[in-house]
Amino acid sequence: MNKNMKILVVDDFSTMRRIIKNLLKDLGFTSIQEADDGNTALPMLLQGDFDFVVTDWNMPGMQGIDLLRAIRANDNLKHLPVLMVTAEAKKEQIVAAAQAGVNGYVVKPFTAATLQEKLEKIFQRLG
Amino acid sequence: MTTTERDLVSLDEAKLLVEYLEKGDREQANALVDTITMRESTELFSEVGKLTRQLHDSLNNFQVDERIANLMQDEIPDARARLIYVIEETEKAANTTMDAVEASMPIAEGLNQRITSIMPEWQKLMGRQIELGEFKDLCHKLDKLLSDAAIDADALNTLLTEILMAQGYQDLTGQVIRRVIELVKEVEDSLVSMLTAFGDVAELTLIEDNPQTSKKKTDIVKAEGPIIDADTRDDVVSGQDDVDDLLSSLGF
Repeated sequence: MNKNMKILVVDDFSTMRRIIKNLLKDLGFTSIQEADDGNTALPMLLQGDFDFVVTDWNMPGMQGIDLLRAIRANDNLKHLPVLMVTAEAKKEQIVAAAQAGVNGYVVKPFTAATLQEKLEKIFQRLG
Repeated sequence: MTTTERDLVSLDEAKLLVEYLEKGDREQANALVDTITMRESTELFSEVGKLTRQLHDSLNNFQVDERIANLMQDEIPDARARLIYVIEETEKAANTTMDAVEASMPIAEGLNQRITSIMPEWQKLMGRQIELGEFKDLCHKLDKLLSDAAIDADALNTLLTEILMAQGYQDLTGQVIRRVIELVKEVEDSLVSMLTAFGDVAELTLIEDNPQTSKKKTDIVKAEGPIIDADTRDDVVSGQDDVDDLLSSLGF
């Protein structure tokens, strides 16, 4: 895993963004930016050569699932790995996220170990 | 109704009526009186009819409005459960945080004490006044301290991460409280429409113009926020293991 990769953390709660940011820093990642919903995230992604997206689902404005779909529908972004970290726990939602092309799904409340495991799995798969 | 503001009968009609009566033409006179009274009652009847229809509609509308029944039956108890969830989550987070702090403090204190106890010999070493026996002793102590300190630092890091993760309650409870706020707003709207329906019938049109939004379709992909009753539902996962199982069953 390239620790210099550029990561965007998308969540409407600033406390959760801080938590994820701190966990990622603890894992050695240094280049982390934040957005508070899909509408803010998408332009950042389109401009900013990000390597990885961690997003919540339930946000005012553009929701995480729609952000994921927008990413997959954009030729410049569709390769981008997306990890969903959300309290949304309905089976249909997880299936919908999988169908939309999510790379990993972490349900809140989660542990630092879970986040690390999913990250490693995603990048192991991408090679 | 404006009937009182104008004459119920015109001067011409009155003159005509007197004329008929003087002539002794009862038939004509009666016909004229009928015409005059009919005109007034037609208006009255139509006004009463309109009111009746509005009352009927408003009563119907009120009964059909499942929103209020729904609010009382499901959403208020649901809101109670949500608020209880908030109390539980905040309590859990507070306890997790305090547990981690209580576990961290002795580790920090222990490190401090051991450093303090080694300090005198260390000072001697730095001042080149240490004897060989003391020096050997110091080396062993330092060796032990360094390896222990590495373990302690790891333990502290783990505890700090626990404290960090516990702050996730703010997001989870925040989402739940937002939903309760929405519900309070909905109850308020319902009360207002109830008052409107039974207060001023004329204002009913206002409510009708305002399409009710309470019909909650169970859109499967719609966000729901933290699940507060996972153990009594089978359409939700109960933790990360379930998520992993579900995804792997989908070929992930």
